[in-house]
Amino acid sequence: MKTIKDKVASLSFVALLMALTAAMFYTPTASAHGEKSQAAFMRMRTIHWYDLNWSKDEVAVNETVTISGKFHVFGGWPESVDEPDVSFLNIGIPGPVFIRAGSWIGGQLVPRSVALSLGETYDFKVLLKARRPGDWHVHTMMNVQGGGPIIGPGKWVTITGSMSQFVNPIVTLTGKTLDLETYNISNIYFWHAIWYAVGVAWMWYWAKGPIFIPRQLAVASGKASTLISSGDKKVGIVFLVGTIVANAYLMGATNDEYPVTTPLQAGTMRGIIPLEMPVPSVNVVVDDATYRVPGRAMQMSLTVTNNGDSSVRLGEFMTASVRFLEPNVLEDETGYPDDLLAEEGLTVSDNSPLAPGETRSISVTASDAAWEVYRLADLIYDPDSRFAGLLFFFDEAGNRQMVMVDSALIPSFI
Amino acid sequence: MSASQSAVRSRAEAVAVSRTFDWMILFVLFTAVLGGYHIHFMLTGGDWDFWSDWKDRRLWVTVVPIVAITFPAAVQACLWWRYRLPIGATLCILALLLGEWINRYMNFWGWTYFPINICFPSQLIPSAIILDVVLMLSGSMTLTAVAGGLGWGLIFYPSNWPVIAPLHQPVEYNGMMFTLADLSGYHYVRTGTPEYIRMVEKGTLRTFGKDVAPVSAFFSGFVSVIIYFLWHFFGKWFSGTGFIADDAS
Repeated sequence: MKTIKDKVASLSFVALLMALTAAMFYTPTASAHGEKSQAAFMRMRTIHWYDLNWSKDEVAVNETVTISGKFHVFGGWPESVDEPDVSFLNIGIPGPVFIRAGSWIGGQLVPRSVALSLGETYDFKVLLKARRPGDWHVHTMMNVQGGGPIIGPGKWVTITGSMSQFVNPIVTLTGKTLDLETYNISNIYFWHAIWYAVGVAWMWYWAKGPIFIPRQLAVASGKASTLISSGDKKVGIVFLVGTIVANAYLMGATNDEYPVTTPLQAGTMRGIIPLEMPVPSVNVVVDDATYRVPGRAMQMSLTVTNNGDSSVRLGEFMTASVRFLEPNVLEDETGYPDDLLAEEGLTVSDNSPLAPGETRSISVTASDAAWEVYRLADLIYDPDSRFAGLLFFFDEAGNRQMVMVDSALIPSFI
Repeated sequence: MSASQSAVRSRAEAVAVSRTFDWMILFVLFTAVLGGYHIHFMLTGGDWDFWSDWKDRRLWVTVVPIVAITFPAAVQACLWWRYRLPIGATLCILALLLGEWINRYMNFWGWTYFPINICFPSQLIPSAIILDVVLMLSGSMTLTAVAGGLGWGLIFYPSNWPVIAPLHQPVEYNGMMFTLADLSGYHYVRTGTPEYIRMVEKGTLRTFGKDVAPVSAFFSGFVSVIIYFLWHFFGKWFSGTGFIADDAS
């Protein structure tokens, strides 16, 4: 019996080791940015990113890729998130695999934080220069002070080549050309090594003789004053004076070498100009909205009035970066990320052209696995059960109108 | 060998054991300080020490010496009062910088590919030498706190200037002026570190025009004096030997 027990124990141990070893070999790439775990209301009721374009899917090291588009700052911004008075247009990438060569909102370079206004729409552009080879998920992102990162859609971009080829040339205002990737590194190593050596020398001076036991015995027997000799004091004075004089000299020499230096630049940028959006001629009233949990579908009852001079049809509902398209009206030709695109996700009870002056009640259903995959269904657990999104209507000439909708949402569990 | 017999049989053997003990304790002390001080400094100095675009004339100069003088003061208290060894501050800073450099090279560069010129640690060794030598020459905690603590704060900026000055050269980039350090911070994307959390050049030291670094350094030195006292007492308290009374006897 004991033999069997021993065998079972040893085999179990071998199995455990094999499982651990297998687990070590399973190392999938961690590439997400936590966008799915962000509360649904944060993605639905804060920043709405649209008309996004990634200029390239694949670039070589040193080449650039541009992400451009618009974002609408939702007028019904949730109370639990600080308003975007101090916001920073960021980019969601795993470390500096690209460098951010430029970022603009409304044509203004925004290297620092900006103040955004609720209800306004802004255009933006981010220029990235490829640095580290690999497949990278590149997200738009807006950081809001007191709100956290509000992440937008992400798309895979491949960088080819070798990082050793990456260069980042910069010309200073004093006319010096340098490579910011490597500039000043040898100077940093040199001075840190020099001072580390000085520190080690001071330590070595004291550690070369007996340290702990004899000295502790001497202190305990009242002979502490004998432990610091006049020679020790002279060496200490050399270190002290040498350190002060060396630093004074180096400060002066550095100022001579770099006569023009400026303080770090900081401060919030205000006065960012939003887009002048035309007043939509389509008026939408949300009569009610339900989210059917088993069907992963959101249904809205809308009363739509066309106040324009051309008939319109509903082509798209977009929320939390997920686009639900009505295939009879709109097909995506921008290469929008597949996982965020429900190409046939929008059904409308009556989507015949809505004539000028006509009012119609329609039922709109946005259904797709994205509700579940992107954890938007979790909005039923939010403390403020509301949804928001953008409706896009198209007239006969293909012109587009954007209408913001915002309403209470009732979950349906059966 | 009975319990009452000595473990060594000659003076030479006793010296050898004593030296072995020295190196063992020194190694343990160095690594323990490295771990504890490094965590303390990352939590309190944090981004000011991590990034070149946080190393400004006001807050970096003020904050880093104040939060860094803690462990040196405490370790000095132990090594000086028990062993008359004036190496407490230098030992702490050498340990801290070794840990910092391992972190910056292995993690910041090796793992996430930030160039070293944006994520190098602050230089603190000249400050530590001043603190240790003042303690050795004066033998006084009060004088070390006042003169050493002030010197600790005052020399911090000059000792870092040869390394950070090149990064404070101005650049015109897309119609705006940056320093090279600002531009590094903008170029090398930190997804989790939005620009607005960067606490630099904030405050009301406007009266001094462009010469705010010396004022910040003086202020840092003054506060370092107070922090030195506090942590010196912590060190004395922790390194004391206490015995539990045996009621039976």
